[in-house]
Amino acid sequence: MRWWIRPLVRTLAALLLPLIIPAIITLILWALPGDPVEIVCPPELCTGGDKLAEARRLHAGPWFFYRWWVWDALHLEFGTSWRVASGFPVGALMAEAIPATALLVVLAMLPVLLGAVFAAVGWAPKRADPLLQAFGTLPAVILSLVFAAVVEINYGALSYEGWPGALRLIFGALVLGVADNALAGSVIGTRSVFEAEMNQRYIGMALLRGETVLWNALPNVLPALVGQFRGRVIHLLSGAVVVEVVLGISGLGSQLWDGTLLQDFGVVMASAWAFAVFSSLLLMLQALVEVGTAIYVRRAPAVPA
Amino acid sequence: MRKGTATRVTWLVVAVTLLGSIVVAGWFAPEFLSRPNLAARELGPLAAPPLGTDTMGISLVEYALQGANVVGVPAMMSALLVALLATLAGLARCAGVGWLDSVLALFQELVGALPRLVVILVVAIAMPPDYRSLLPIGLAWAILSAPAAMDEAAATAGRLGGARFVEALRAHGFTAMRIYVYHIVWLNLRSVIVRQGAEILMQVVFLEIALSYLAVSQQQPAFTHSDSVHSWASLLYDGYTWLVASVPMGHAMALGLTLVALVAFMAQSFRLSARPR
Repeated sequence: MRWWIRPLVRTLAALLLPLIIPAIITLILWALPGDPVEIVCPPELCTGGDKLAEARRLHAGPWFFYRWWVWDALHLEFGTSWRVASGFPVGALMAEAIPATALLVVLAMLPVLLGAVFAAVGWAPKRADPLLQAFGTLPAVILSLVFAAVVEINYGALSYEGWPGALRLIFGALVLGVADNALAGSVIGTRSVFEAEMNQRYIGMALLRGETVLWNALPNVLPALVGQFRGRVIHLLSGAVVVEVVLGISGLGSQLWDGTLLQDFGVVMASAWAFAVFSSLLLMLQALVEVGTAIYVRRAPAVPA
Repeated sequence: MRKGTATRVTWLVVAVTLLGSIVVAGWFAPEFLSRPNLAARELGPLAAPPLGTDTMGISLVEYALQGANVVGVPAMMSALLVALLATLAGLARCAGVGWLDSVLALFQELVGALPRLVVILVVAIAMPPDYRSLLPIGLAWAILSAPAAMDEAAATAGRLGGARFVEALRAHGFTAMRIYVYHIVWLNLRSVIVRQGAEILMQVVFLEIALSYLAVSQQQPAFTHSDSVHSWASLLYDGYTWLVASVPMGHAMALGLTLVALVAFMAQSFRLSARPR
């Protein structure tokens, strides 16, 4: 396979992803039993369904709805919530939720990145792998429950502000970073990539020349490491839904959960789209790193005249 | 029998016994829970054998059986789906079909880029309330998890030599069936397929527990089963009241955690049974 095919496929996937997710949700909305308008405004509960349908662009079929939704989303306009906070702009809800989720994921990345660095430089002993794996088998929901109990016993069930709120965030990050094999996968995955590279002949040459192994191997393993990094961030984003709901963190995941429970398609589409856009950005980043690395390793060395 | 083979067979027996127990327990699950018996509420396993009762005096055995019914078959089907997709990816690499490799690469990129739980919630929202089941959610989870399994299976097949490996075996006079099914799938891909399948089996059970717990904790109907059925998450929810409010339901927490541990042990047994030589 030519070197540029994978980055090209990734770029295509990155461009398609934010279009596919709303398309799927639109199809689901029309595939559900009954008229989509009845989900927004059940006839037995409210009147003026036609006007509401027009306001939400549900009156002219799925393609019309989808086209306008994507167009508005590109201008960061997501309409109003259907049920979670009825009438409230979804954009404002997202603006409140995204920073919490971003902070949670960034904090959760700390143990994962530390594990990867330790594995890369050989400080993470192989003997500890079974322990890490055993600990990583713990489901996120169980660990979250334990930490939620710790916070609630010490600070009360409704303690969401100040230090207890920060503690929920820290515990959430710890759960995300360790549970479901996040840390174990990071350590073992990074080590295996480096170990495979160490068997290459050029590494032996580099050692004979007195060069450092890490800097010789890094350009060649970088695409694989960035791929792993992307997978782990997606994994953390996915896990954020459970952790946020159990620990009471008001982030994008808990917003998506509330939207799903209440069939609020306005919130669900916007939240899922935000996740898709973030995933697309990561795909683009990976493609860029792959292209950059390919150009770097193929560059002809400057030979002195 | 060689020592390594005996060990693998032992782990396989353990794993199959545990999986069989979950599926069979599901068959014996009552359709509805018994009537509440307030005289026997919150009793421990010693006072109300074998597993104690809940806050309504209902035996926890019924919860355990209903939970097994919710997860047993869907988790197994999801595992089989992942195993099938991984096998296909491995065979495609060996068959040397270039376009299929490219199509699989695009599929892996697209599906692998999706945050799984986000998609699962989208699937959940699409299910009519009367048809709530873990099966569509589990199968969706399996498809979302497939890229990793397919990638590993394809890489394993690639390390064999891909199409050249098949060519060499053909030169020995083996039939296509023997080459693909025995030499490639059974001898080389088995460990990857079983390990990935076991992983998904465990993940689907944990996913069910997580989704049901979130619903139960917010007093909402679950996405994975009907309202008359209770998942293992109900045991954890009751146990949580013991942790934070000292309601005497520690035995429910212990039972819930034991079931979770058994599922993890079953997955590990499958992995150990399929270790490469």
